[in-house]
Amino acid sequence: MTATETTHASTGAEEGWLSATDEHAAVELLHELGCTDGLPVIVPTPERVARMVLASGLDGDLVLAELGPAMGAATVEKIAVAAVMAGCLPDHMPLVVAAVQAVADPAFDLTEMQATTHCTAPLLIVNGPLAPVLGVHAGFGALGPGFRANASIGRALRLAMINIGGGRAGSADMSLLGHPGKFTYCLAEAEDASPWEPFHVARGFDAGQTVVTVIGAEAPHSVIAVSDRDVDPGGDRILNALAACLSSISTNNAVLGGGMAVVILNPDHAATLSQAGLSRAEVQTALYERAANRRSVLTAQAPAMARKGDPDDLVHCFASPDDICVLVAGGGGLYSMVMPSWCAGPHRNRAVSVAVDTDQACVIPGLSAGSRRDPARDGRRGGRRRPAG
Amino acid sequence: MRDGINLARRGIPAVALVTEEFLPQSVFVAQAAGMPDIPRVILPHPIAGTGKDAMRKVAESYVPAMLSALGRPS
Repeated sequence: MTATETTHASTGAEEGWLSATDEHAAVELLHELGCTDGLPVIVPTPERVARMVLASGLDGDLVLAELGPAMGAATVEKIAVAAVMAGCLPDHMPLVVAAVQAVADPAFDLTEMQATTHCTAPLLIVNGPLAPVLGVHAGFGALGPGFRANASIGRALRLAMINIGGGRAGSADMSLLGHPGKFTYCLAEAEDASPWEPFHVARGFDAGQTVVTVIGAEAPHSVIAVSDRDVDPGGDRILNALAACLSSISTNNAVLGGGMAVVILNPDHAATLSQAGLSRAEVQTALYERAANRRSVLTAQAPAMARKGDPDDLVHCFASPDDICVLVAGGGGLYSMVMPSWCAGPHRNRAVSVAVDTDQACVIPGLSAGSRRDPARDGRRGGRRRPAG
Repeated sequence: MRDGINLARRGIPAVALVTEEFLPQSVFVAQAAGMPDIPRVILPHPIAGTGKDAMRKVAESYVPAMLSALGRPS
């Protein structure tokens, strides 16, 4: 922190800015005001915020979205405040902006999602050429600690949802317990380790675009499957294990139906399915077909919520195979992951993808992600590289 | 809360029923929606899943409060 920054932080010279005697007091004040996620934040001084706004290439007072349930105006400056507090580099700002725009899409049902008693949190999936440049990790431990871009970009979205959207636990965010992904929930797809086209290409974008996809997701459920090609060349064990998790009668997907879910295949599981001749779309279809329950089972378990009909019918958890988002990430091994979703809200909280606007973005000298050594960049391709096809 | 607010906006007399646990959220939503004084009646928590008899008792005992909140003498 420079001397100039200290002055501004301590005097609060500009209208509308808080003031504190020093950095430590400023962090404590932000905690007291309920502006944090409970962890220490970087103090959003005017200089730091201005630098973040500059990196976006957009005007600070430009309103990009309205975030519910508070219906706060998400200006570029307010988003920049969240990005600074979360510990983002200025280079991360275009991704944070795209993430905020994505959750503000009406199809995402943000207002209802923030207010629900379910534990849902937006999972951010980053695809495209900027992901490795910015150090968004896709390999071993991508959803765990140790990766600055994953930690700070996801956290910036959460702080925007708290401070602009008003999502504070117990008053507006009524999640009964929440889940750890509500601190940050962000990873890149391991495109190099995937046998298939990148996830954003499957969703209609060009491979050269960098895209942020958000989906309201439960905490990840680990799925073990030993893929032995001698006895299970079709990858049925993997598909069955994933489908069992997707269709568990403890999930909203099974009980309410009509929502979406995420399946993150580790590169070994993806390779087994690919070598069995399955495309991504065929994996989605296979999971769609297997993720189903007898109506009688659902009716017995949740009579008020089960959809009516013949008790012997097989009730699919998803309206379409496309509603199962399949991507590849993590290290290679026995475990893949399933994230069920909330499945409620007027649009059943759809996944939303937004292309990152890189034309406007501005590199801040000395603070560029590309100019720094970041272990995430070296270790990003945690899974072994796989041939295409 | 939002249903009550939306009805009131259409000129239909409305009272929002809120259980104790969700009182802070009702205050937040009413303020965020620009109708902080929307009439509401606070019910015990929980209601859902307590059985028809219990729910009927709650409904009967809170009818006067609901009518009063709507501005009608109980």
